[in-house]
Amino acid sequence: MRPVFGALAGAGAMLLAGLSCAQAATEIEFWHAMSGTLGERVDELVKKFNDSQKDYVVKAVGKGTYDEVLNGTIAAYRAKRQPEIVQSNERSFLTMVNSGAIIPTSELMAQQGQPIDVKKYIAPVVSYYAIDGKLQAMPFNSSTPILFYNRDHFKAAGFDKPGATWQELEPQLEAIKAKGVSKCAMVLPGDYEWSFLENYSAVNDIPYATKRNGMDGLDTSFVFNKGKLVGQVERMKRLIGPGVMQLAGQGVIPIQLFTSGECSTIIASTASHAAVVAAAKFDWSAAEMPFEQGVTPKNSVIGGAALWTLKGHTPEKYKAIGAFYNFLAQTDTQVWWHQATGYVPVTVAAYDAAKAQGYYQKNPTREIAVVQLMRGTPSDNSLGFRIGNSNQINVAIMEEVSAAFLGRKPVQQALDDAVSRGNESLRRYEQLNAGKK
Amino acid sequence: MLARNSAAELPAVAGGGAWRLRWPLRRKAAPAFSDGQAESGLKRAHFTEWRLPFWLLAPQLFILLLFFFIPSVRALIQAFQLTDPFGATTQWVGFQNFERLFRSSVYWSSVQVTVLFTVAQNVLTLSLALLLAFASNHILRGRGAYRTILLLPYAIAPAIAGIMLAFLFNPRVGPVAHMLQGLGFDWDPNRNSSHALALIVMAASWKHICYNYIFLVAALLSVPHSILESAYLDGAGPIQRFLRISLPMIAPTLFFLIVINFVYGLFETFAIVDATTRGGPAGATSILVYKVYQDGFVTLDLGSSAAQSVILMGLALLLTYAQFRFIERRVNYSV
Repeated sequence: MRPVFGALAGAGAMLLAGLSCAQAATEIEFWHAMSGTLGERVDELVKKFNDSQKDYVVKAVGKGTYDEVLNGTIAAYRAKRQPEIVQSNERSFLTMVNSGAIIPTSELMAQQGQPIDVKKYIAPVVSYYAIDGKLQAMPFNSSTPILFYNRDHFKAAGFDKPGATWQELEPQLEAIKAKGVSKCAMVLPGDYEWSFLENYSAVNDIPYATKRNGMDGLDTSFVFNKGKLVGQVERMKRLIGPGVMQLAGQGVIPIQLFTSGECSTIIASTASHAAVVAAAKFDWSAAEMPFEQGVTPKNSVIGGAALWTLKGHTPEKYKAIGAFYNFLAQTDTQVWWHQATGYVPVTVAAYDAAKAQGYYQKNPTREIAVVQLMRGTPSDNSLGFRIGNSNQINVAIMEEVSAAFLGRKPVQQALDDAVSRGNESLRRYEQLNAGKK
Repeated sequence: MLARNSAAELPAVAGGGAWRLRWPLRRKAAPAFSDGQAESGLKRAHFTEWRLPFWLLAPQLFILLLFFFIPSVRALIQAFQLTDPFGATTQWVGFQNFERLFRSSVYWSSVQVTVLFTVAQNVLTLSLALLLAFASNHILRGRGAYRTILLLPYAIAPAIAGIMLAFLFNPRVGPVAHMLQGLGFDWDPNRNSSHALALIVMAASWKHICYNYIFLVAALLSVPHSILESAYLDGAGPIQRFLRISLPMIAPTLFFLIVINFVYGLFETFAIVDATTRGGPAGATSILVYKVYQDGFVTLDLGSSAAQSVILMGLALLLTYAQFRFIERRVNYSV
């Protein structure tokens, strides 16, 4: 009788313990746009957090592309069923800030008694995601474009490495094609407006839009239809015309054409490291983005995404979010994330820690993005972009620019059209959000 | 979101309506040709109890209300608003969204592409389906097997058909593209807008040939044998018999299919475009219904997207009206 009773009591106690544990843990939902290898890394990251403590459980849900996550969030918010955290790309910054649906991260963390010191974050991240020194979103996956290249192809064409300027790189690409080393010397990335236009203008220190690219107010206007940027689109057209630079098109992801060895170079996000390491079966390396001859290159601008906290949840949930953000900002987490994904560390301490480990001696290409992001003093043209209706404008600009490099419109006319379509959207955004930042 | 719902529902209502009208007629008409007497029009069914038809209709009406009428009304409202995607700010802007569309050269080029696309798709679908229907009616051995194979593509999801074609015809990696390039044809739908348009016409037609084919086979089967036999005795060959006798007799079916193909091309090809070209290159394949999606869901311009879907709704109503007014009434169903 007694042992049975004992066993029962033991089982009961275990059951109770289990129950109380389940009750105590506050669950928060985190919608993200990471798929493939990066999606697995997010799951690992969340598991690390969940295993590190007992009070909170983060549930990561992949919701497709950035566009799909944003659409899903809007639908959920309108139906009052929004998750606690959503990952949204850098382009959607103003949409999120002015949505009335979010709690600024600085405010949230101050309420949770863990105020954020923006000085701990790297400068290009802060200039992008902070208003008046207050972070609006939690920096998460930040990247910047760099040049990946196939070293075998460069050697076969008689070059050591790609030239630092476009003036040096362009003849190299043409030679690679002309000598028959590769049919495709460069593949155009899917997000070329980010690398070939926005980052190009930041690095070469030319204005993209007035008011410091929109940092100083919604009454900004595009001005990229003159000067060097026209030359840049002319260059794209010159490279695409004879097939030196190729378009991947539907059904194929541009980076796959690089990793398969078909195309010799690609200017892509440093986060492509994950894909390149996994798939490239040749001697590859990377270099900083090319710039114009005679220019002292400025810092490039970040891309990627940040985490936004949505309104309408209970205080316990916000406590859980605070704990999760705190975990994300820790140096160990940042170093792991940086090394596991190829994204840059968003805190200065994490960069220093990775350096102290000797990580960059073993993996020199991993440091390129960080160095490129932090070089020099940011100018008004390299702080970042604060553009309303940015998704809309982005589609319009890409449509016009591709019409130019496919020869359907003269370059100047295409850029003029892109500017006027963009400005029309900017004015509409200003009309709707009058009086906001 | 609303804009998309209503746009997505349009085809179901416009196409479905035509289908529902046609189908009972066809069944009723089938035996009628033997006595050679034309039986036209609908026969009024009499219900003595007035509540019964109401209850029979109720489930369908409820679904229509939920998925068509409510979204349509909301799209109509949104077409006159400027709104933040999250709904934080909303302004009434009158006809501003429509004015913007009519001033926009991008919208007009989308209209142009849509006309090209729907006409090309219609011609290709109908002529190939006709050819296949004619040919498979003349095959004696394994006719059933051929028909089954010809109907298979209809079961393939549009997105999958689109992705498959995009891949097969991808100039870098696609086997069909490599074959074309091997023949000396510089195929590249990523750079050449007419190639891209040809690709979506192919994808859309391939999916829809089966639908046309079923109707045409049925129509060809119901051409009276006596007439065909007498033509045969008069010395007409198979092609002549087809052109002189079968074709005029199946004309009503052809008219019906033309309308249905337009409805299909206008409203149901979104998934194929999205999977095959995403409206590119440089907007060259951005047909109207794809633009509704892109402006509403990718670029979050809800007002413009709603205005566009209202215009499309008007077009669908017009087509349905034309179907009723000019085709349903004048067609002789005795074949």
